[in-house]
Amino acid sequence: MKQLKQQLRAMLLRTLAMSYKELMHILRDKQMLGFALVMPVMLILLFGFAVSFDVERVPLVLVDQDHTPASRALADAFTASRTFEVVAQTEQPAEAERMFRSGAAKVALVVPAGFAKASLHDSEAVAQLLVDGADNTTASVALGYANAVALASSQRSFAAAMGRAEPPIDARVRTFFNPGLKSSVFLVPGLMVMVLSMMAVMLTALTVAREYERGSMEQLFATPVGRLEVMLGKLGPYFVIGEVQVLLVLTLGVGIFDVPVQGSVALVFAVSSVFLLAMLMQGMFISVMTRNQMLASQIAAITTFLPSLLLSGFIFPIDSMPPPLRVLASILPPRYLVHGLRAVLLRGVGFADVVRDMAPMLAFFLVLLALAARKFRREVA
Amino acid sequence: MSTPPIIEVRDLSKRFGSFQAVNKVSFHVERGEIFGYLGANGAGKSTTIRMLTGLLAPSSGSATVAGADIASEPTRVKRAIGYMSQRFSLYLDLSVEENLRFFAGAYGLSGAHRERRVHAALELAGLHDRRRVTTRDLPGGIRQRLALGSALLHEPAIVFLDEPTAGVDPAARRGFWRVIRDLAAQGTTVFVTTHHLDEAEYCARVGLMVDGRLVALDTPQGLKTAHVPGSLYAVESPEGTRAAAALLTDAPGVLAVEPFGQRLHVRVQGSADPLRFQNLLTSRGVLGATFEPVEPTLEDVFLALVGDAGKATP
Repeated sequence: MKQLKQQLRAMLLRTLAMSYKELMHILRDKQMLGFALVMPVMLILLFGFAVSFDVERVPLVLVDQDHTPASRALADAFTASRTFEVVAQTEQPAEAERMFRSGAAKVALVVPAGFAKASLHDSEAVAQLLVDGADNTTASVALGYANAVALASSQRSFAAAMGRAEPPIDARVRTFFNPGLKSSVFLVPGLMVMVLSMMAVMLTALTVAREYERGSMEQLFATPVGRLEVMLGKLGPYFVIGEVQVLLVLTLGVGIFDVPVQGSVALVFAVSSVFLLAMLMQGMFISVMTRNQMLASQIAAITTFLPSLLLSGFIFPIDSMPPPLRVLASILPPRYLVHGLRAVLLRGVGFADVVRDMAPMLAFFLVLLALAARKFRREVA
Repeated sequence: MSTPPIIEVRDLSKRFGSFQAVNKVSFHVERGEIFGYLGANGAGKSTTIRMLTGLLAPSSGSATVAGADIASEPTRVKRAIGYMSQRFSLYLDLSVEENLRFFAGAYGLSGAHRERRVHAALELAGLHDRRRVTTRDLPGGIRQRLALGSALLHEPAIVFLDEPTAGVDPAARRGFWRVIRDLAAQGTTVFVTTHHLDEAEYCARVGLMVDGRLVALDTPQGLKTAHVPGSLYAVESPEGTRAAAALLTDAPGVLAVEPFGQRLHVRVQGSADPLRFQNLLTSRGVLGATFEPVEPTLEDVFLALVGDAGKATP
């Protein structure tokens, strides 16, 4: 018993010594430290402002050949919200096409002559909405909006014709948890995935490879420091950096992008920390396997950027992916962090509800730890 | 009576693919001894050290270091030894003190004990007032002393030094060896590899590695009498030594002719008179050659043995 306690104490001392050494390396390398703290801020600002699925101020060219109150009412219906912005008005459809080509307009509303007359007499009133399909997000949002506007205005004219003030059925869609469907709210958890995975994996991917490259691994292995102690000791300081990154991303998300924190902040950190461990271990694993900084950094970049962007559910829903990708996505940690964070931040769920997200990430960490320890031989030659 | 040897090596071998790096090496090292391990680059010195420090598993054979088997108890070996590797021994981006603190922790030292040992290492390296200096900024000789101090933090029974003085200037090398001898005097066993043959003179015993085999093992004096028999003369000639070398090699009574700097080291049978050879040279037109008796050095031993080994393995 006493011997076991002594052994544990010695292990702890050695692990702490590794952490201390790694911390000193980090503190010496101001460039790296700056990179680790400035990059998350840059990324979140860049992605937060640039990657947005909120379609606003889509340039619209209005081709009104009718010039009646009815045609103007239809045009107003389109321009009333911030979704479209009239950039030009013309009577020539050819002019609209020219603007499409130059990119000056993405949508054209064409109201042909006789529109008003047709709507008064029972025949069909036809207006045309031309959409530039090259930008598919804008196009689909514009189409959806156009349908809604068309439906509403036809309901109104129908009601007017029937002599009633209100349409008979008023169907409304209410979105829970993110009522504005603002994409930044949706995106911040996704950005957290990108920032944490890229930074964490990159930082640890270099650390073991560096020891091999400068020959210090041999010196380390000549001391009683064990494989697990090397790996866990090295993780320590990077884990702290990672937590600072979580704090940065969260602060920016709440402060600038109005991300609500419905659940507990502690839970946000708990979920992020497990993810962080998994990512740090992924980098460590790459480092142990490659023993080469150059190769390790390339593999780190490939194995973090794509999964965190594509397989996290950050942008593309995982449920609509082909089965092999779905399997891959459920092995890798990113989707669990996105899911867990969205649950805590937007829905305000408790610990019991995110355990299902934390467990697979923890499993990922442990499996990689075991694999790395197996590969991490004491032989150095 | 005598304590059991602190290092015992039996038929130790290491093979990398088809390359036999270490070939059935057997020897033992006594407690408190300075044991020199000599050989050219690639002769198998570092590979032997790596096996003895538990860094590399042997292909066959066995060894015990401080009573622990290197193959089955590498962790016990590591606790008992200090090791200064050839390529790396300190983190250059860390300060003197940070390096020492780290290695002390790596050896499981803590608290007041750790502080005491760090102080001792600073003392040994003479770096008390430069403890905050970045290790990279220290001159090579000081850095090596610091590395030695760091290998001794946990007061190991044995310290393995792999080419500790490579790239260190002669004055610093002398200082370094003074420290090594002090260590041995206090009872620490020192296992040291070097290719500076003059340093091997400081060793109690010297093993000589050639192509993975231990071809000789004795005290420096013993090696000289065994492998450099006869009398040794340094031959100098105003016209250069090439012609003299050619003539002397074939002369009867000459055991060996080796170039030695600007001169030749000519070893002759004990009874032969140097005047005879001088006359021989003169008669063949090599004038003014001088014969000066010299004491054999380990370099002569090395040359004699490497020459023999070269003949033995075509």
